[in-house]
This record gives sequence, C-alpha cells and structure tokens, in this order.
Amino acid sequence: MSRVVGIDLGTTNSLVACVTDAGPVVIRDKSGDALVPSVVSAAADGTMYVGREAERRLLTDAQRTVYSVKRFMGKSRQDVQDEARHFPFRITGAPGASDESGGGVVRIGLGDREFTPPEISALVLRELKHRAETYFAAEGDLDPEVDRAVITVPAYFNDAQRTATRDAGRIAGLEVLRIINEPTAASLAYGLDKRHAGLIAVYDLGGGTFDISILRVEDGVFQVLSTNGDTHLGGDDIDVLLMDRVLADISSTAPAVPVVSGVPAPGRGTGSRTPEMIQQIRKAVIQAKWDLSEREETHVTVVAQDLSPAYTKRITRADFESLIQPIVDRTLGPCRQALADAGLEPSQIDEVVLVGGSTRIPLVRRAVATLFGQTPHSELNPDEVVALGAAVQADILMTGNRTMLLLDVTPLSLGIETLGGVVSKIILRNSTIPATGSEMFTSGVDNQTAVDIHVLQGERELVSDNRSLARFKLSGIPPMPAGMPRVQVQFQIDANGILSVTARELRTDVEQTIDVKPSYGLTDEEVERMLLESFEHAEADFAARLLIEARNEAENVIHATEKTLRSADFAAIDASELEPGERTRIESVLGGLEMVLNSSDRETIQKWTQALNDATQHLAEVAMNRSVKAALSGRNVDEI
Amino acid sequence: MSFPTTLQVCRECGGGAPIDVHFCPQCAKILSLTRHGDYFDFFGLPRKLNLDLSDLEQRFRTLSRQFHPDFFYNATPAERLASLERSSYLNDGYRTLHQPISRMEYLLKIEGLAPKGPDEASRQVPPALLEEVFALNEELDDVREMRASGALADAWKARLQRARKPIDARRIEHEAQLQELAARWDGLDAAAPDAERRDVLAALRDRFLERTYITNLLAGIERELETA
Repeated sequence: MSRVVGIDLGTTNSLVACVTDAGPVVIRDKSGDALVPSVVSAAADGTMYVGREAERRLLTDAQRTVYSVKRFMGKSRQDVQDEARHFPFRITGAPGASDESGGGVVRIGLGDREFTPPEISALVLRELKHRAETYFAAEGDLDPEVDRAVITVPAYFNDAQRTATRDAGRIAGLEVLRIINEPTAASLAYGLDKRHAGLIAVYDLGGGTFDISILRVEDGVFQVLSTNGDTHLGGDDIDVLLMDRVLADISSTAPAVPVVSGVPAPGRGTGSRTPEMIQQIRKAVIQAKWDLSEREETHVTVVAQDLSPAYTKRITRADFESLIQPIVDRTLGPCRQALADAGLEPSQIDEVVLVGGSTRIPLVRRAVATLFGQTPHSELNPDEVVALGAAVQADILMTGNRTMLLLDVTPLSLGIETLGGVVSKIILRNSTIPATGSEMFTSGVDNQTAVDIHVLQGERELVSDNRSLARFKLSGIPPMPAGMPRVQVQFQIDANGILSVTARELRTDVEQTIDVKPSYGLTDEEVERMLLESFEHAEADFAARLLIEARNEAENVIHATEKTLRSADFAAIDASELEPGERTRIESVLGGLEMVLNSSDRETIQKWTQALNDATQHLAEVAMNRSVKAALSGRNVDEI
Repeated sequence: MSFPTTLQVCRECGGGAPIDVHFCPQCAKILSLTRHGDYFDFFGLPRKLNLDLSDLEQRFRTLSRQFHPDFFYNATPAERLASLERSSYLNDGYRTLHQPISRMEYLLKIEGLAPKGPDEASRQVPPALLEEVFALNEELDDVREMRASGALADAWKARLQRARKPIDARRIEHEAQLQELAARWDGLDAAAPDAERRDVLAALRDRFLERTYITNLLAGIERELETA
C-alpha cells in the first residue's frame, strides 16, 4: 500500500516526516539534512530547481528565484503591495483582473512564466514527496509512492489561506488527508512521550508567521481552547530590519541610490543594488542573526561583486535585541488575547512549548518566560516538531488509532454581510471544529428567485474591515410573495477549518444551488488545469539531480565546518588541541570547496567535499569530545 | 424532556433507534443526524440549568472519541458524513451548554420561550427597567453636552461612572434572581404541574431579557468611556 506522510510547509523551510515502528521520524536527504528550503528557481533553459539548489541560485540569479511564497498564499495583489519591494521576484495580480477586492489572486513571475502561490508551493511539495519516496524505496518498500499527506498551516490562517494550501497539495498530486494547525501538531509531537494532563501554551514563531495556541490535554484528547496570532510576523521581518540597516549604511558611504528595491528599474544604472547583492546582504544578516543566538557579538559581512570595498560591521546582541524588540513585543498582544479567550491567567498555564526557528533567539525566550512566569520547553528541535506531529496525525487518520485526538478551533469568526455593510457573525472564533452555523434568508420582492450572500471572516464590525471569503448567489428559490421563502443557509466548517455552504428552502424543502466565487482563491477548474500543466514541466533530469545532491552535501560540510570555526570555544580548541597549521589547512580546503561549489562538475565537488571531510576529521573529534565531557559534567557546552 | 417513542431510523440497515443514541443498536453503524434530540439529550443530560462542568467536559471528550471525523477517514461516504454531522452537533452543543448564559438562552428556546426576534431583547425597554433607563438616558444626554462644550474628561467620566451605578446595582440583583430561578427550575420534578413549569420559565425569560438589555446598556457606557 502506498505511504502517507506529514508535511510542514514552512515559510523558510519545509520538512516531511512519517511514522515508523519506532515512532515518528523526519525524513532526511543522503547528507542528513532534514530541511528543504521553500525556494523555487527557474533556470533560463526552463529547468526548475527546488530547495538547497534554488536557495543557492538566489545569490546568482535572484530574479528567477522565489522564496517565502507562504506569505502570498490566499492573498490578493493589493494585500501584498507594501512588502513586494522586499522581494527580488515579480509580483502581479491576475491578468486583466480588476476585481473590486484588489486584483484577484497574486501571480508571481518565475522565469518567463507567471505562477500562483499554490503552484509554487506545489513544487516544494513535490520535492518533499520525491524525498519521501526515495526514502521509502531505500527502506525496501514495494510501493514507495506517496500520494496522501497531512499538511500543516499556521493556526491563524484564514479560510482562503487554508484552501490555497489544500490546492497546492492537489496540484502536487497529493490527496490532502487533513490540514492541521502547526502549534497543535507540535503539541501532538510533545504529547507522545509524556502522557500528562494540563494546560499548555504553544508559542510558534516561524519564518513568516506567528501563532499562539492554548490547549487542555486530558485523557489523550488535545483540546484547543483558543488561538491567536499574526500571519505576517516572523523571522523574515527581523531579516528585513537588519537588511534595511545594512542598506542604509551602504548608501551613506556610496553614491546615493533609491530605496530598497528587489528589481532595479531600467536605467537606474548598474553597480548599485542588484537583486543578487540584496540576497548577499540577506544571507549575511541571517547568518549574523543565527550567530547572535549563541554569542554576544558577531560581524555582518557582505562580500559582493558590486560592493567595493566589502561591507563588514560588528553587531552586539544588545544592538540586535533593541532592534527587534518591537517585533517580539508584537507577539505578546495575541498571547494575552488567547489567554483571555480561554478564560485563563498566564500563571494557570502548566507548560509552555516553543516552536519555530525564531524561538531560538534568546530575547524571544526571555519574553515568553516573563509572560508565563516559567521556562518554556524546547527539548524537541523547534524546526522539526511540527512535521513530526503532522506524521502522527496522518497515522491516526490511516489507522483509526483512538489513543490521541486533536480537537482544534477556528481562529476567526465567520459572518455574512447584512444591511449597511455590517457583519453578522454566524460561527464565533475559537469554536471547536467541525462546527456549523445557519442563517435564515428570505426574498425582498415578489417572485424573487435568487439572493446574493457575501461571506466574511474576521472580528470587526464592518464588512470593509474583514476578510472577504466568497460571494454566493443563492438561486432556484421557488417564486413566492416577498418575505415568504424561508431559505436556511447552513455554514459548515470541517475538521480542516475550511468552509462549505449548503442551502435549503424550508417551505418546499428544495435544495438550493450555490454558485461560489472565491474572493481570493482558485476555482476547481483552475486547480485541475494547474495539475495538468505541472506534469508538462519536466523537472531537473537525473544528472542534474545528482549534481544538486553533491552540492547539498558539500554545503552541509561547509556549513558544519564554518559553524565550528565560528563557535565561541574554537579559539580554545585551536590553541590547546589542534596541531600547528591544522587550522590553516582546514581553511584553505574550505576555500577550495567554496570555489568549486557552483561549478557543474559533480566529481570535482565530491572530491573537494571528501577533502574537507578528511581535513576536519580531527577537529570534529575534538569538538565532539568536548561536548561529551561537558554533558558528563552536567554543564552546557556553551559554558565551557 | 425526551420522548421515548420518538425514533431515529438507521440509514444503513433501516432499523429504529432511540433518539438519544449515536450508533445503531442493530448494525452498530454511526447514525446520520436526521432526527435528533436537543443538546441535553445528545449529551445524555437532564434539562437543568446548573451543570457539573467537569462532567460535561468528560462527556464531550468521550463522545468526541466516538465520532470525530479522524476516526472515520476510511469509512463509507455515508458514515463520514454522519461523523461530520454528529461531531459538529456535539461541538455546537458543547459550546452552548458550557456557558451559563447561552445554556439558559438555549433552554428557553427549546421550551418555546425564545425571544421573538434577535433584537427583541435590545430594542424594547423591559417594563421593570423603565425608570432606571429613563434616568440614565437623561444623564447620558448631559454627559454628551458636557463633552460637546469641552468639559474636562475627568469631570464627565466621573459623571458617567456615577450614572451607571444604579444599573450596576440592578445587574447584581438580576444575577441573584436568575440563580434563584435556575435553582427552582432544576428542583422541579417530572410530576410538577405544567402551570408551575410555565411560571418559572416565564419569570426566567423576563429576567433574561432584562439582563441582556442591561448588558447592552453597560456596553454602551463602556464605549462612551473609551471614546475619550
């Protein structure tokens, strides 16, 4: 039988996991890497690259490379206008669309074509599917095909964003078993080894989104009491702050150029801010951000062709923290609201769980600890815990195993437009799903056979302040005098948090036809067409794939080596345990591998990778011994 | 109040089942939600206003385990639909019964005493409140005048606070009355005369409408205070 998996489709990275006899595991590539960067790049010859290779291409071919596409899921052109400037790729509305709600679904230019965000996400999903199939085949599965998956979304995703995610799965050839919320998935992974009861807060700060969920766990039932968040708040925002600062520095020392722009306008001249240089800066600030989670200070170093001299600047953790304090503060309001909605005080929470890469930042941990008055949990890798939970949920769905059950809620109230542009709420936020609500409609004039209904999601009073989900035309009402028909419209939110609508005229008991026009989504026909198109576009051939794998492995070794060389206790290791000249040798092999990394000669890359592995073997042993010693003496490695 | 003679029909095997069961006694399949009892029946609870919340929560978890869609993924389309319907009804019922106010409103509804329109409560001034509401409206007009003529925020806010005191007092009084009536309702046994049941319900309904009115009134004052 074909296999099922759990997928964490992240803003920055995506992962795939499955349940084995030994429990849930994240599926890694040959070099042990669990993360697939959520990046897609189109080469001039039409080849599509996904993951690490696409991420590398950001530095060489930024305008043909798309990242952070999750931020655009279920959005209109108008929604994303303000932040489009931060991205190197083209962002446009639907061709010819002049919808009142803002230009229809976002389109993203990738090479010579335009794609919707679900299509780009589908390419990432296909890469994960491929990774899982390779793994199952290697395990000796007779039928390693992966055709069904549970996919996670931020808890605070609205209906349009959830639907877009489900569409992405379908385009990738996956039956989406269930859409589940990331914080809830994480709690499921945490609940595996600890069969405890109590109140849990899950704080999930990822690359692009923030969620807080409050759960009650009892008898294996994980019941979400409330959820809140911001689907536009995460590590990306921190990167942008740092990038803006670097760009301001560069501008003040170089000829004046206009504000940050991913795409240089024609005639602006070269030698200033090419998209590639912006990406070099982005890479450099991300590295600095990571460094500052482990060290008190670091340097932001940007080496780019168009930048002379190279930019380098010291940044301390204190600088960094004062810069990002406003972002961290923005997470606290949703936390308080979620607690209030659950009717709880922070001190009543028994355990706090951290999820998402951005929760590695010490300031974030301190803020959470202060709010809840306790040290949060972080035993499980915050990058992997969501995918593990998704795999557990996929297993529950397939086996019908009843030891654990997730009861999630809808994050936003659902309502319909009434007279005067006011929203009448039908299903309140934090209602356990599946949930239903109904509303009675009638006609305003004699023999009226159709009624227009506008469905919205959000907490505000006025239609214009809420998210438009869809407009329905309710037709086929039997002709009757005005006010006589009694049409009951039933709204059903399923266990995925996705809405469907049915209607019935009660006097005649006639089912009504509903014509759905999603405000920001794709129609079923569009999804079908995309499914077909995606098969026509060949992915990288076998040789290209081997080359990509070689590069990935090389990059992992480079990354591990750089991490050790940059670590706080490297100076001590170098002084006391390395042989004379060992460090220089490592550095020169490292430089050599970096030079050949972007060539298309697979064998050379592999030779240099092996050389670096050999050169660092002794260093790796020394570093490992130190951490073992540290562990045995009960101290943290960082404290040595 | 359930009627043991009322049956639901299993769509799977055509057999009959009592209204308050969830699985067919003949074929054991989950029953689709065609004819069903009220939320109290559904949870197997008596139609009372004071519920043991931990008991309600326990029942909710047990029932969720029985028919959540997660456990019907590989079932027939009919069973999947039945599971979705039953789970939705369970969740809606849990939400309604968990809060004392929505529980009371729901009880009035199933006893045939629901407010006639959604706005009945907020539009009509309940007769018992006429005096206070009249006085409050005069105070509110004065406050608005004070604000229009540029009075200090502290001055008009103090006035507004003073104006709401009698209403606050009424609310506390109401809560006590509602609780007393709820206890009376819960104390009625099956043999209680219909007239007595009606009396308690009618009194509950009046107090309930007054309560809704007062809550809206106080919310209005809160808004005035916030728009400083």
